[in-house]
Amino acid sequence: MIPHLISIAPFGHLDFWLGVGIVAGIYAIFTLGLQLNVGFTGIVNLGQAGFMAIGAYAMAILIVNYGWSPWLALPVATLVAMLAGVIVGMPAVRLRGDYLAIATIAAAEIVQSTAQNAINLTGGNNGLLGFDAAWQTIQIWALGLLATIGLGQMDQIPLFALTWITFGALLVILFTLQHTPWGRVLRAIRENEDAAEALGKNAYAYKIQSLALAAAIGAIAGYLLALNITLIYPGTYSADFTFIGFAILVLGGLGSYSGVALGSILLWFVLEGARFIDLPLSADKVAALRLLIVGLVLIFIMALRPQGILGKREEMVLRG
Amino acid sequence: MADTIFAVRDLVKSFGGLRAVDGATFEVARGSITALIGPNGAGKTTVFNLATGFIRPDRGAIELEGHSVFGRAPHTVARRGMGRTFQITKALAAMTVLDNMMLAAPDQPAERLIGLATHAFTWRRQERAIRERAMQLLERFRLASLANSYAGTLSGGQRKLLEFARLLMTRPRLVLLDEPLAGVNPVLGQQILAHIHELRTEQGITFLFIEHDMEVVMNNADSVIVMAFGKVIASGLPSQVRRDQRVIDAYLGAHAEDVA
Repeated sequence: MIPHLISIAPFGHLDFWLGVGIVAGIYAIFTLGLQLNVGFTGIVNLGQAGFMAIGAYAMAILIVNYGWSPWLALPVATLVAMLAGVIVGMPAVRLRGDYLAIATIAAAEIVQSTAQNAINLTGGNNGLLGFDAAWQTIQIWALGLLATIGLGQMDQIPLFALTWITFGALLVILFTLQHTPWGRVLRAIRENEDAAEALGKNAYAYKIQSLALAAAIGAIAGYLLALNITLIYPGTYSADFTFIGFAILVLGGLGSYSGVALGSILLWFVLEGARFIDLPLSADKVAALRLLIVGLVLIFIMALRPQGILGKREEMVLRG
Repeated sequence: MADTIFAVRDLVKSFGGLRAVDGATFEVARGSITALIGPNGAGKTTVFNLATGFIRPDRGAIELEGHSVFGRAPHTVARRGMGRTFQITKALAAMTVLDNMMLAAPDQPAERLIGLATHAFTWRRQERAIRERAMQLLERFRLASLANSYAGTLSGGQRKLLEFARLLMTRPRLVLLDEPLAGVNPVLGQQILAHIHELRTEQGITFLFIEHDMEVVMNNADSVIVMAFGKVIASGLPSQVRRDQRVIDAYLGAHAEDVA
């Protein structure tokens, strides 16, 4: 008898896929910041998970420890993340290429280890809870609304909608900025910093702005991630997050904001879909196999489209 | 004495044990076409890099229109009116020719995030004006048909023209050209030289250029500065410099007499 290689039934589980969609959306938002830095400014930011952590922790600390309203805590936490971007950026963007990448990853490690050890502030490895009361209220209201059209049990819909609406809004903002003279200067710096300087552009200031904006976007991804798992603890914001972000970036295409969404959806669809491969293997072997499959899909797509799904081939060839 | 637009005095720059520029002193007269010549390793390109802020000088003075630009950042020097090209062209390859040009326009409020907010309703109008000026310059440099091509697809000669045209978008008063004719075919070379003369006459732009072809120097420069071993060893009219024994010994060699 031929075993079922892939069981079809779980694909019908809408709730499961809504959950995957939320994660894909959070990663897509996170990677928008990377795209701004790597794809449009030419700075390799490997510390994005650190900025995400700073935003999420600042939000939770202000709400839980200091009793702030979330409507005040969110903008303030975003500013805190941006400030962190400026502080890390001031020395780091003077470095070029690999050195900048190392400096940013070091900054992110500092953030993670601070989160683990500043127990009074962050709860250490136990994390922080209870920052999402306002969201719970909104969610209950939204679910009540959904119940009137018979979707009351789909309790992931509110966060799914919030995540992708946020992504859409950020996409529009970034896309618009990219087509202004400001965006033109960023691209020029990506192409050749010396040429941009010789034409009167302050490359240093632009790189710091790029990093600060990416940090703000990372913070927003951090808020949504916190709402999704209802807990903030250091392990969530490890460097792995940034590396998966880079895989999404390459998959979607450098220099394309909408490619980020496609890259993230594809990666998470393959990664989570691989759960349903029905093989006579132990759970840990299946888990390893899932990553293997994602790796193979990445290699396959890169062989077919080296510029990524929505990347422009000219941009890749000409810059090489 | 002519009005001086640019002056360098006792400029020194060492790289480790090597004194690349060793007390160089010279002046460039406003509205002139001045050549900077000398053997390889004389420090010519280093002087350009020091003047335009790409390398920080050790000591000395660098003045543009009477104001010090010593140790200033490249973008500051560029905004003060001193533009430059590079020995190896720096076209912004994955941007279109037109984007290369429009980027270079000075005083664009929408280049800053705050400016985008305060000029939200007017910056597109400014863009149209910038585009128009960029197209005029591209017409002049016979690049208009390539406006929407990626700069990376241009030939070496076309890149030189683009870099020159792009520099003019910044409305410079002094232009430093590092070997503008190197690797350019003779016809294109003549075209570039013609542009230099026209722009000087029409707009009063001053040119300082590094060049190795003595025929080009003698036929086009009003004034010549000769460097060797990091020092200025002679300067003056081309006819004077050519007869200077130090210049013949250090650079021109015996067959200098053959040159037109």
